[in-house]
Amino acid sequence: METPTGPVPSRRAAPAVPVAGASSHALALLLADARLPVGGHTQSGGLEPALQRGLSPDGLPGYCRTRLATVARTEAATAVVTAYAARHGGDLDLVHAHWAARTPSDAQRSTAYELGRALLRLGRRVWPEDPLLAGWSLPTARPLVLGAVAAAAGLAAADLARVTGYDDVQTVLAAGLKLAPADPLQAVVWTRQLLPAVDALVDAVHGLTDPADIPSGSAPQIEEWAQAHARTTRRLFRA
Amino acid sequence: MPEPRQTLRLGVCGPVGTGKSSLIATLCRELGRSHALAVVTNDIYTDEDARFLRSAGVLDPERIVGVETGACPHTAIRDDVSANLAVVEDLEERFEPLDLVLVESGGDNLTATFSPALVDAQVFVLDVAGGGDVARKGGPGIERADLLVVNKTDLAPHVGVDLARMVADATAARGGRPVVALSRHDPDSVDRLAGWVLDRLEALRAGVLEPQDPGPMPAHTHHHTHTHDHDPAPQTSSAGAARA
Ligand SMILES: Nc1nc2c(ncn2[C@@H]2O[C@H](COP(=O)(O)OP(=O)(O)OP(=O)(O)O)[C@@H](O)[C@H]2O)c(=O)[nH]1
Ligand SMILES: [Mg+2]
Repeated sequence: METPTGPVPSRRAAPAVPVAGASSHALALLLADARLPVGGHTQSGGLEPALQRGLSPDGLPGYCRTRLATVARTEAATAVVTAYAARHGGDLDLVHAHWAARTPSDAQRSTAYELGRALLRLGRRVWPEDPLLAGWSLPTARPLVLGAVAAAAGLAAADLARVTGYDDVQTVLAAGLKLAPADPLQAVVWTRQLLPAVDALVDAVHGLTDPADIPSGSAPQIEEWAQAHARTTRRLFRA
Repeated sequence: MPEPRQTLRLGVCGPVGTGKSSLIATLCRELGRSHALAVVTNDIYTDEDARFLRSAGVLDPERIVGVETGACPHTAIRDDVSANLAVVEDLEERFEPLDLVLVESGGDNLTATFSPALVDAQVFVLDVAGGGDVARKGGPGIERADLLVVNKTDLAPHVGVDLARMVADATAARGGRPVVALSRHDPDSVDRLAGWVLDRLEALRAGVLEPQDPGPMPAHTHHHTHTHDHDPAPQTSSAGAARA
């Protein structure tokens, strides 16, 4: 054949092959990978509006810490409670209501729905046998979809919480490299310094089972920035 | 087998300023009365292209949506198309039935091409002002996009480019794939472009349009003469792309 043979694509999913159970640790690596095609590159974790409105680039670690204590903690707890509910036939609508009530910024809720939609697409493809993902009828809030994916995958609660917190840190610091002058190695130094705070988040939320116990420490300044960002026209990042 | 989708998703990519947005505006003008269209733009800053197209008045502004790429325009059309796919699906649902969704890539460089997970077919746009040599230099988009447009042909005499030569180089680089020499001031060339688009739409609806991936990498070509074995069947492949 004379035709140049570039990669031959296929839109069809490969047939589902039974997969032996993977360890929760290995699954955590899969889900924490920044290359996961779920739109992470469009996100700054609220950093873009924060920098525009006066946060100093030196303040990035502090900003991450604040998120880990507030919005990221709510997200991780919601994911953990969702995974528990998914395994025990709990009421996911109720979990969603508790998450939404603790996420007062509609800009942040919209962002969560967008990101959850991409994650649901991934989850359905990677765990096609899971009935909850296949028949998803709730709003696609990211922490709920993440919790459901964790239940489908067999990810332990602590690993799920760790993935959520770690992803939040990485989202902010990776976006920081695009938004402010920085040495990429410094971002890794900061990540390492933040790992204990990620672990503290894990300790705080991994045992939760009741949606009423999802923490609601809100971060009004971050929420206000998120609201403002949703109305600007010149932005690099969706949120 | 599922019904073939009725809406053609057409990618438009190519270097900065070669005329991608203008080509989309031209198609909207040309096809907007006979067909239902929508547009998705990918820009470095959200909505420059979207705003340009809205202000061109060629399409209902609500049908033009800009996607943020987090300064990763390559990633958004290739390694992680989720943000674009969501917007395309929303437009298709909201304005059903659509005939054509045009997706403009962030103007970048010669290597960015669309994943077949996002578009059914793609146009790579060069312009004569970029120099007559570009077509010969090649690259995945130039060589293997479904259509190569050599744009702004009206400028050729002013920038000292031998247009016939440039088109011949492009055609040679493409192993028979089509090339359209385009100028928005030349109605015949616009007809050829629109005709190609409608032909692809027809192919999609007939279920015979298999999305091709120009690939981020040099193709496996056969300029050498020795024979070697090939796998009998084409392999399904994740594009195996390096990240942008
Ligand atoms: N002379 C001439 N100029 C053209 C033609 N098409 C586009 N242009 C001009 O080329 C310039 C760039 O056009 P755009 O359509 O914005 O190019 P683009 O590829 O979308 O640019 P980016 O999105 O910034 O990468 C504008 O000044 C257009 O008016 C053409 O056919 N002839
Ligand atoms: Mg443009």
